[in-house]
Amino acid sequence: MVISINNLVKRYGDLVALDHLSLEVQEGEILGLLGPNGSGKTTAINCILSLLKYDKGEIRVFDRPMAPDAYDIKRNIGVVMQNVAVFNELTVQENINYFCGLYVPEKEKRKQYVEEAIDFVGLGEFRKFYPKKLSGGLLRRLNIACGIAHHPKLIILDEPTVAVDPQSRNNILEGIERLNREGATVVYTSHYMEEVEQICSRVVILDKGRIIANGNKEELKNMISLGERITVETSVLSTGLLSALKNMPGVETAEYDGKQLVIKSAKGKNTLENTLDFLKKENIAYGRIYSEMPTLNDVFLQLTGTELRD
Amino acid sequence: MQVFKLCMKIIRKNKAAMLVYVLVFLGIAILISRITAQHPVTSAFSTAKANVAFFTEENTPLVTGIKQELSKSSNFVKIEDNTEALQDALYFRQVTYIVRIPKGFTDKIMNGEKATLERTTVPDSVYGTYIDMKINRYLNMASLYVNSVPGISQEKLVSDLKDDMGKSALVTMTSAKKANDSEKPFTAYYFNFLAYVLPAVLIFGISIVMQIMNEKDRRSRTFCSPISPKSYNAQLIFSIGFLAVACWAVLILPCAVLDPSHFFQQSTWYLVLNSFVFLLASLGLGFLISIFVQGMSAVSALANICTLGPCFIAGVFVPQAFLGSTVLKVASFTPTYWFVKVNDTLASTTHFSYDVLSPVYGDILIELAFAAAFFAVGLAGSKRKRLET
Repeated sequence: MVISINNLVKRYGDLVALDHLSLEVQEGEILGLLGPNGSGKTTAINCILSLLKYDKGEIRVFDRPMAPDAYDIKRNIGVVMQNVAVFNELTVQENINYFCGLYVPEKEKRKQYVEEAIDFVGLGEFRKFYPKKLSGGLLRRLNIACGIAHHPKLIILDEPTVAVDPQSRNNILEGIERLNREGATVVYTSHYMEEVEQICSRVVILDKGRIIANGNKEELKNMISLGERITVETSVLSTGLLSALKNMPGVETAEYDGKQLVIKSAKGKNTLENTLDFLKKENIAYGRIYSEMPTLNDVFLQLTGTELRD
Repeated sequence: MQVFKLCMKIIRKNKAAMLVYVLVFLGIAILISRITAQHPVTSAFSTAKANVAFFTEENTPLVTGIKQELSKSSNFVKIEDNTEALQDALYFRQVTYIVRIPKGFTDKIMNGEKATLERTTVPDSVYGTYIDMKINRYLNMASLYVNSVPGISQEKLVSDLKDDMGKSALVTMTSAKKANDSEKPFTAYYFNFLAYVLPAVLIFGISIVMQIMNEKDRRSRTFCSPISPKSYNAQLIFSIGFLAVACWAVLILPCAVLDPSHFFQQSTWYLVLNSFVFLLASLGLGFLISIFVQGMSAVSALANICTLGPCFIAGVFVPQAFLGSTVLKVASFTPTYWFVKVNDTLASTTHFSYDVLSPVYGDILIELAFAAAFFAVGLAGSKRKRLET
C-alpha cells in the first residue's frame, strides 16, 4: 500500500474540511481525486504531506506512519503544487537543481537527474531562461520538473494543468502516464473531468470532506441512474409533443430549449430507436442527432448536485 | 547547504540594489563626515576680539607696545575724534571701548610715577572689563620693570614686556576627557553615520531574502522535501549573518583607508565593537520588519522611517549636545541613541580605564537588549504566522 488514510478528520474552527476520510492508494495506480472547490482535496493532500496537522485519524505512506520528520518517506515523494512554486531569481536549470538538491545530495547524480527532468518536460531550449520569461504552460512544466526530478516513487499532483493551453496540457498528461509506466504511483487532482477520464485508473469523488464515490470509471458510471443521452437539433417541437416524449418508455427526462432536445434515458435503457420512430411518425424536422453514454461529469452532477467547475 | 546557496544567489541577484544603497549612503556619510570634521562643533574656549577706538597724543615705543599688545584681543576701529562721533560709536556698539593716551604718559611711566589712561566703555560690558584687565596687567608689569631695573630703556622695556605677556603655561590634562571636543576625529563622525547606513542596507537585504524564501507556496514546497525546519532555519540565519557581516566589513573598511591615523588607535577598536553590537540590533530590526511587513515598497517606506527617524533625534545628524532632553528621552527608546552615545563617549576619551569604560559597557548592553528584544518579537511573530497558515 502506497498511501493508507484511516478515519481522517481535519477541522478549521467550526468547518469540517475532512470528515472521517478513509482512502487507500495502491502501488502503480493513477488515482484521480475529484471534487468541487472546498471539497477537501488540497486539505487531504496537505495532510498526506504533513504540511497540515489534523485532528483525528492516521496516515501511512509506504506502510509507515507519515509525520513532519518522516524524512525517509518524504525522500520518495514528488509534489507538484497547485500554485507554481519556483524562484524567479534562478534559471530553469537552477530551479530544478535546487529542488532536486533537497532530495539528492550527490552532485553528479543530481546533474543527471536535472538533465532528465529538463528533457522530460521539454524545456531543453529554455534551460537558461528565468521563470518570468516563460509562458504559463512552460511555467507549469517547470513546476512539474521541480517536483519529479528526484525520481520519486509517489507523485502527488494538485491541479497541475490549471491555466495551461491544450498543447501543454496534453504534454503534461502524456508525461504523467509515462511516469506511471516507469513505476511511479500517482495521485492526481483536477477540475477537468476529461483529464481524469483520460489518465486515471481509479477515481475518488470528494464532497464536503467525505468520499461520495470511489471506483474505476465504469464502476462510477454504474453508480448513477442515468443511461444514454440523446441530443436532437430541432426548432419545431410543441409542448404537447414534448410531453408525449417524456411519457415514452425508458425516458428519464426530456428537455427542450427551442433549439435542442435532450433526452436522458433511464439506466440500462436504449431509447434512440424509439426516439427516431417518434420523430418520423410526428413528422418533426431535425438536423443532427447523436447519442452519448453518461460521462464522469454526469456522475459528478448526479452525486454532488453541482457542476465540477462551479 | 542548498538553502544557503539559494540565499546567496538571491543576494547576488539583488546585489546591485544593495550596492547602490551602500555606495550612496557611503558617499553621503563620507561627505557629511568630512564637512563636519572640517567645521567641528566646539564647546572649547577661544578668545573673541573687542572693537576698540585707540587715540594717542604721543608716539613713543611704549605706546606702540601697548597698541601691539591690545591688538591681540582687539580690532581697532577708526572713528572721528569728536565727542558726538565717539558717543554715537559707543551707542551703536560700533566700538565697545575707547582708550586715549594723554601727552606725557610715557614719561610718567618711565619715571615710575602713576600714569592714567582715559578709558570710556559701554556700561557693564564684558569686553570693557577684559580690555581693562589687559591694559592694567601691561602697565603693572611696566611699573615693575621700571622700579626693578633702574635706567631701563623704552625699547628694552617693550621687548621684555612682549616676551612676558606672550608666555603661556604648559598644562597637562590628567582627566580621561579630551580637553577639546573639536579634536573629534573623522573616524568618530564616520562611525556615527553607520547608524543610518547599516540598518538601511540590512533591512533591505534581509527583507528580500526572507520574503522570497518565506513566500507561502515556496516554503510549503520546500517542506515537502526531506529538509528539517531546523536545518532550513539554520541555513537561512547563516546566510543572513553572512550578509550582515559582509555589509559591516564593507562599510567599516573604507574608514581605515580614509582616516588611517585614527583608525588604528585603541579607541577605534571600541568603536568597531560598538558598531558590531549595533549590527546585531540592526539585524534584529531587519528580521522584525521582514516578518511583519509584506511587499518591498512597504519595507522601503518603513526602513526609511526606522533608520532616518532615529538618526535625526538620536544625535547622528545633530549632535546630542544640541538636542532637548525630551527629544533625547524619546530617542533613548531606539538603539541608535545608545550607539551614538557610546561613540561620542569614546571619541572624547583618552584613557580607557575600567571607570571610564563601565558606562560604555552598560550602554552596549542596552544595545544588546534591543537586539534580543527585536529577535524575540520577530520569532514570536514568525511562529504566530506559521500557525495561522
